[in-house]
Amino acid sequence: MDRAELALFDRTLRGATEAHSGAALDAALVELGWHEALVDDRPAAVSLLFEHQGRTAVTSGALDDVVARALGTDTACAVVLPALGRAEPPAHEDSGGVIVDGLGTPRLLRTDTALVAVRRDGDGDGDGDEGEAVAVVKTADLACRPVRGMDPDLGLVEVTGAPTAAAVTPIDPDRWDGAVTGARLALGHELVGASAAMLELARVHALNRIQFGRPISAFQAVRHRLADSLVALESAHALLEAAWLDGSSETAAMAKALAGRSARMVAGHCQQVLAGMGFTTEHPLHRYVRRVLVLDELFGSARSLTDALGRDVLSRRRLPPPLPL
Amino acid sequence: MELDAFGPALDRWLDEHAAALAPDRATETLDQHMAQLAKVKRLTYDAGFMRWGWPERVGGLGGSTILRAYLGEALAGRDLVEPGIYSMTETLAPTMIDHARPALAADMVPRLLRGEETWCQGFSEPGTGSNLAALACRAIRGDEGWRVTGEKVWTSLAQYAQRCVLLTRTGAPDSAHGGITALFVDMDSPGITVRPIETMHGAPEFCEVFFDDVDVPFGRTLGQEGQGWSVAMDLLPFERSTALWTKAAYLRRRLQDLVEVAPADALDPAALGAAVQLLAAFRARSRATQYRLATGEHLGPETSIDKVLVASAEQAVYDLVEAGLAPEVLLGDDAGPSRWRSEYLFSRAATIYGGTAEIQRNIIARRLLDLGADR
Repeated sequence: MDRAELALFDRTLRGATEAHSGAALDAALVELGWHEALVDDRPAAVSLLFEHQGRTAVTSGALDDVVARALGTDTACAVVLPALGRAEPPAHEDSGGVIVDGLGTPRLLRTDTALVAVRRDGDGDGDGDEGEAVAVVKTADLACRPVRGMDPDLGLVEVTGAPTAAAVTPIDPDRWDGAVTGARLALGHELVGASAAMLELARVHALNRIQFGRPISAFQAVRHRLADSLVALESAHALLEAAWLDGSSETAAMAKALAGRSARMVAGHCQQVLAGMGFTTEHPLHRYVRRVLVLDELFGSARSLTDALGRDVLSRRRLPPPLPL
Repeated sequence: MELDAFGPALDRWLDEHAAALAPDRATETLDQHMAQLAKVKRLTYDAGFMRWGWPERVGGLGGSTILRAYLGEALAGRDLVEPGIYSMTETLAPTMIDHARPALAADMVPRLLRGEETWCQGFSEPGTGSNLAALACRAIRGDEGWRVTGEKVWTSLAQYAQRCVLLTRTGAPDSAHGGITALFVDMDSPGITVRPIETMHGAPEFCEVFFDDVDVPFGRTLGQEGQGWSVAMDLLPFERSTALWTKAAYLRRRLQDLVEVAPADALDPAALGAAVQLLAAFRARSRATQYRLATGEHLGPETSIDKVLVASAEQAVYDLVEAGLAPEVLLGDDAGPSRWRSEYLFSRAATIYGGTAEIQRNIIARRLLDLGADR
C-alpha cells in the first residue's frame, strides 16, 4: 500500500473498531478487505488493526486469523491458542488422538470446527513422526469454558478435551514459529494501542482536574509519570517496527516483551494519575488495566520472555544480532 | 556513495588496517583516549571514510549523514574510539557549517574531521546548569571585536581544545533566550584559564574555563548577534541523533564483552534480557531518527525520548557490569578492571549530562504531551 492507501486503510480500521466489537467487527473486517490486506501487506494489516483494537478495547477474531494464516489456512476459522503464558502448540498427540489444552477467542463458541496446532513427540526414531502438525477438530468435542476472570469483556474461552481429529497434517517446522511470531506482533501492537489509550485518558484528566488552584498537570510528579509512559510506549512501538523490518522471531519476542512491560508500567502510572476517578467502573480505565494484564500473558509474558532471552544470551555468550542501520 | 557500498568498503578497510588502528590498552588514561581518537580520525580521514556525509565546502565528500552514523557505529562497535569524545565532532561541526562564515567553516571544519584539533563547547556555567538561558558569561561589543568575561563549567575536553563554541550574554542581564550570542573562540587567546575537574570516574574530561577580558574578533560570531539560543538549539538534534547512535553501538559492544567474560551465574537473566531489549528498542528508535536527519527533516523535542532511552540503557548495562564483575569493578586495579569501573561510574552521569533526565521529561511533558506550563 502506498502512503495514501495506508492512511485510508487506517481511517477505515479506526472507524470499524470504534463502531463494532466481537462478531460484528469480524464481519466489518471481511467487508472492508482486511483479510486481503493480511495477505498483501501483513505488517500494515496487523499493526494498524491491533493498535486500534487495543485503543478501543474491543475484541475480534483477528488473532485467530493471524495464527491460521501463518499455519497455512486461508479461510477464516476459529483457532485454539496456547494456554495462558505458553507459546507451544496447544495440543499434543497421544496414542492416536490429540489432547487439547488451550484458549480460544469468542469466535470459538460461534463455529463448529477449530484449527489446532499439535506437538508430535513421535517414537523418537527420527523417521519424521515428530514435530508440529495441524488438525481440524469439532468444537462440540471440546470442553469450552467461557472465561470471565480478570477481563470478562475479552471473552476468552478455556478449551480442553480429547477430540477425534479428522486428520493430523504435518507442517513445516518454521510454520509454528511463524504463527507465534505473528501473534506476538499482533498482541504487541494491541498492548501499545491500549497503552496509548490509557495515556490519553490520564493526560486529559490531568489537564482538567483542578486541585490547589491549578490543573494537576502542572505538578512535576504527575508530568513525569506521563512522560515516562510516553517513553515506554514509544520504545515498544519502535521495537515492534524493527521486528517487522528484520522479520526475526527473536526481535518479535523482544518487542512483545517490551510492549507487555511498558503496558504494565503505563497502567500503573495512569491509574495513579487518574486516582479515585480511574478506580470507578464509570471510568473506562479499568477495562484497559484488565486487558493489558491478560494480553501480556498470551503467547508468553514479558517476564518469561525477558528471562528466556537472558538465559539464551548467557548460554550462547552472544547478544542477538543488531538491527541493521 | 550509498550505504550499501560504503558499509562493506569501510568494514573491509577496518579489517585490513586493524593493527594500525588498534588502541594501546596498557593503561586507560584520557590522554591515551585522546591520542587514539586523533589517530583514528586521521587514518579514516586520509582513507576518505571520515569525509563522507559532510558537505564538500568544508572538505567533505558529500553523501548522506547515514554514512556518518555507520562510521561512528563501526568505530565504537570495534572499540576503536571512546564514543563520547568521538561524538564532539558530530555536534560541533554541524554548528560551524550552519552558522559560521563560509570561509571560516571551510578553514576550520577539516581540522576537526582530520583529528588535528579538538573543540569544546562552552555552554554550562556555575549558576546555569539545567537553566541554560540564564547564562551570564558576558561579551561586550568593542571597536575591533567582542570582549568576553565570565566562567564556564563542565566544558568537556577544554584542556585539549584549540577552539571553543561559546555562548555569551550580549543583551541585558535579564534578556534570557533573546540576548545570547554564540562565538567561536581560539583557546590560546590571552585571558583564558582552563582548570580540569577531578571527577569520580577518574578521567578529568570536564573543565572549568575562565575568561578574563578575552578578545574575540567579530568575524568569529556564529549566526547573528542575539541569535545564540537558536545556534544552541540547532546543535541539540545532532547531540541526540548521531552521537547517541554511536554511544549505543559502544554500549552494545561492552555488553557483548561482559557476557563473554562474566561468570555464568553472576548475571541475572531477567536483568540481562531487559538490558538487551532496551538497547534493541533504543536502536530501533534511533535508526528512524538517523533517517529523519538524513532526509533533512527537522528534529525536535521527540529526540528527548531517544535521550531518556539511551540513558536508561546505559545505566542498565553498567548495573549488569557492576553485578557481573563485582571483584574486578570493586577491587581490581589493572587497566581492564579500571576501565570497567570508570565506565560504570560514568554511567551514573548518563541521566545528568546533556540535559538531565528531569529536563528531558519536562520537554516530553510540555512539547509532546501538551501538558502546558509546569507552574
